Amino acid sequence: MKKLISLNVNGIAHELAVEPRRTLLELLREDLGLTGTKKGCGIGDCGACTVLVDGVATFSCLTLAIQVNGCSVETVEGLTKDGKLSRLQQAFVDHGAIQCGYCTPGMLMTTTELLRRNQHPKEQEIRKAISGNLCRCTGYQKIVEAIQEVARSENEEI
Amino acid sequence: MILPRFDVLVPESLEEALEMLGEHADKGVRILAGGTDLLVDLRRPIIPVHVPRCDGCAKHPGGMVYSTIDCELWLSEPTAHAGGSLRNALQDSRRISPQYLISLHLLRELKGIKRLDNGSLYIGATTTIREIAHSEKVRRCWTALAEGADNLGSPLVRNRGTLGGNIANARPAADMFVPTIGLNGILKLQSLGGERLLPARDFASGPGLTVIEPLEILTAVIYPAPLSYSGSSYYKLANRKALEISTVGVSVSLTLEAPDGPITDVRVALGAVGPTPILAESAKGILLGETPDEPLFKKAAQAIRKDARPIDDHRGSAWYRSNMVQLLSERLLKIAYIRAKRNK
Ligand SMILES: Cc1cc2nc3c(=O)[nH]c(=O)nc-3n(C[C@H](O)[C@H](O)[C@H](O)COP(=O)(O)OP(=O)(O)OC[C@H]3O[C@@H](n4cnc5c(N)ncnc54)[C@H](O)[C@@H]3O)c2cc1C
Ligand code: FES
Ligand code: FES
Repeated sequence: MKKLISLNVNGIAHELAVEPRRTLLELLREDLGLTGTKKGCGIGDCGACTVLVDGVATFSCLTLAIQVNGCSVETVEGLTKDGKLSRLQQAFVDHGAIQCGYCTPGMLMTTTELLRRNQHPKEQEIRKAISGNLCRCTGYQKIVEAIQEVARSENEEI
Repeated sequence: MILPRFDVLVPESLEEALEMLGEHADKGVRILAGGTDLLVDLRRPIIPVHVPRCDGCAKHPGGMVYSTIDCELWLSEPTAHAGGSLRNALQDSRRISPQYLISLHLLRELKGIKRLDNGSLYIGATTTIREIAHSEKVRRCWTALAEGADNLGSPLVRNRGTLGGNIANARPAADMFVPTIGLNGILKLQSLGGERLLPARDFASGPGLTVIEPLEILTAVIYPAPLSYSGSSYYKLANRKALEISTVGVSVSLTLEAPDGPITDVRVALGAVGPTPILAESAKGILLGETPDEPLFKKAAQAIRKDARPIDDHRGSAWYRSNMVQLLSERLLKIAYIRAKRNK
């Protein structure tokens, strides 16, 4: 039997009837059409499905929609304001930190959380923070450099 | 690959959760905390079964194929023409698929880290691994637990996974369970009838198996207050620094009478070298009452090695694991000793 939940996604309030076994990932992609969030492994290994739940980086594939009832969710679609990329997104583009792009939404969300918590993380802190987000293409170096660019600046905006 | 069909119950109090547990016990019910073990276990994407596609294939004994059986199919009735092995697989999966999950996420009373009046540490079962890794209290006095938390899975796993889930899941390599035994953690198990306290070392009865009663919920773990001159340390040996199950895990806790000894208490817990985490009893016999020095730690490590009962698997051979138990025990005894000296 479906259950009614309410949640706020990228600033918009939603009320939805969901099957109890529905994951947050399925809800975002299939019910709300927010396909920026990717599905890789489905079992917590790759981080492609990372979103922020009440500000905390969360793999949406292992989170049931029911468990986030009443929470506020941010996805990669929410990073762009008025059609303009966030500074972090722009840094990913500028540094060639995106190749196939499949890991990118998850990487961006994990890193957004890191930079909100710690405006100037050291390289080692950056590498540790993204250690649950796998990238098959870039070898991570360019991703780290992109994050470092934002981490170096005094501009508080991410 | 989707989850099998189940209902999720969301109790608002511990008592309600326990009532729900009793009410649905006969229909297959599981507790859901972070879900990082449970939801993975419930997905069985690929089952090796013989799916007969035609008569000829059905008659061919070697016609085993690896087939992706959708969970939807698991829960539907087996079709008339399905082979015997498929029917068995479907029945098996029905047995493992619970009809109800009871999610603990609204129960605030199960969350949080606090120090009790007697100095011991109380950690609610649904406290996340992340909160434990970030807690200065834990790092200062129960260092081995903080070091387990630092190295569990990845940041994303630590953000969702819980202390209670790690212990209740009872894997022999579990990175919170092993130091919990090393630190002599006491589990608080609650049922409608009351609560009981059980030393963590008595909890596991096999890989993934525990002595928890079907109507009990693990509500908290209590770590005794460290005495003066105590120190602890945990090391996870694994092929990678993240997203890896340990090949060997060792947790050491040591207490001294004075900065230079003698040793008044010691506990060494070993992970991934037996069907459950192992409390290495021989460490006590060699170390208690002695003045700590390198030759003593060497001798103790040789004895601890014999307490391990490792097997060969893809993470490492039994021989390698035994060597590592010895090497790590010696190193961790030294580290715990250095920490103990400093902790007045
Ligand atoms: C990608 C990945 C990497 C991982 N890496 C590691 C690792 O390096 N080291 C490690 O040790 N583990 C690892 N794990 C396993 C898992 O993350 C941890 O064991 C975690 O602590 C489990 O907690 P949970 O809250 O998610 O448990 P759940 O999945 O919610 O529950 C696990 C089991 O415990 C039961 N349970 C949960 N809470 C209670 C309770 N309060 N009372 C009674 N029963 C309860 C559930 O019914 C279930 O059977 C990993 C998992 C993933 C997906
Ligand atoms: S899809 Fe969620 S972690 Fe891989
Ligand atoms: S850019 Fe292809 S996986 Fe990271």
